[in-house]
Amino acid sequence: MASAGDKPVMLVGIDDSEHSLYALDWTIDHFFAPFSHCPPFKLVVLHAKPSPSTMAGFSGPASAAVITIIDADLKISAARIGDKAKEICSRRSVEDAMVEFVEGDARQVLCDSVEKHHASVLVVGSHGYGTIKRAVLGSVSDYCAHHAQCSVMIVKKPKNMH
Amino acid sequence: MILVRRSCNLPQRLNDTNMDLTTPPAAADVPGGEGAEESTVAGMAKQQPVSEMRKMEMMVAVDDSEGSFYALGWALDHLFRGRTLEENDRLGRVTAVHVQEPFQHYLFPAGPGGTAFYASSAVIESVKKAQEENSAIILSRALQMCREKMVKAQTLIMTGDPKDMICRATEEMHVDLLVIGSRGLGKIKRAFLGSVSDYCAHHSKCPVLIVKPPKEVDKQA
Repeated sequence: MASAGDKPVMLVGIDDSEHSLYALDWTIDHFFAPFSHCPPFKLVVLHAKPSPSTMAGFSGPASAAVITIIDADLKISAARIGDKAKEICSRRSVEDAMVEFVEGDARQVLCDSVEKHHASVLVVGSHGYGTIKRAVLGSVSDYCAHHAQCSVMIVKKPKNMH
Repeated sequence: MILVRRSCNLPQRLNDTNMDLTTPPAAADVPGGEGAEESTVAGMAKQQPVSEMRKMEMMVAVDDSEGSFYALGWALDHLFRGRTLEENDRLGRVTAVHVQEPFQHYLFPAGPGGTAFYASSAVIESVKKAQEENSAIILSRALQMCREKMVKAQTLIMTGDPKDMICRATEEMHVDLLVIGSRGLGKIKRAFLGSVSDYCAHHSKCPVLIVKPPKEVDKQA
């Protein structure tokens, strides 16, 4: 896949959480909306779809039926997230935003996509977990900050927002 | 003890006293600080006239390392695309901050026996002076870079542990974006993060942009 013309690519990773949609919102607000005709970046929104086998892993010997159901469910939620993202982009009149879905583990998917698109910035939201939760649950933003090959912007949702 | 000195080329009041953590931010003219949060949630008008856009208050942490200057340059290039001072001024404002490590004066051996005692005041003075000069050089280089890219900037010197000081400064000044290099003075592989940027990524309340150094091998498609 060729990268966009001569504009640097800004890759925004989103999942189902409010934090990542806030991150997308914030990014568009600060980097795309003020430059209504000529934004400095090309926006690519990426959603990492978890693969059905990882979700079904804990349910014991997963039968084919279970996996199909989970798969359908994941497709629906991915489509929903994609729609929300497209809606946010069009509401702010970001014209040539690309929305992508890739299956796999979010951390790896984001870092690989940075390579694929030759992105200059990767934007991720952050759940704002403390040190312990972060170690146990794992943090995508943390992994990306360490391992992505490009600059990383971590956008946090302020706690006092409603 | 924290000493804050602010010198800038914008008309701002100079504050030479210890920073009081409850004072409101000095920049009264930045509408973006709190207002930004609410308005991003509400729907925005399709076409925003440029004069109404809030300014982005950006803070860049600089030190002796090349990485931090690369971060400053990167941020200026990508975020301030205007061709004149006025255009860039409308987009936002940059604060370059340098944090000095506190001088550990009790570690200095003052006598021939090599035992550690309190350093004489002359030594303390000269080290302080050297630190001041060092900060001045770093910050003037940062200001010079901003001037070349036609961006108005102000500078801030703080003393203390860099991680804490930077995070505190972003809160107090209601900064919209903190820009920081990925590794400071320790040269490790590109995949890892320096301690200050790592700390700020986790603990700062505002968005953080970690700028990584360019790849050594040019990988064009």
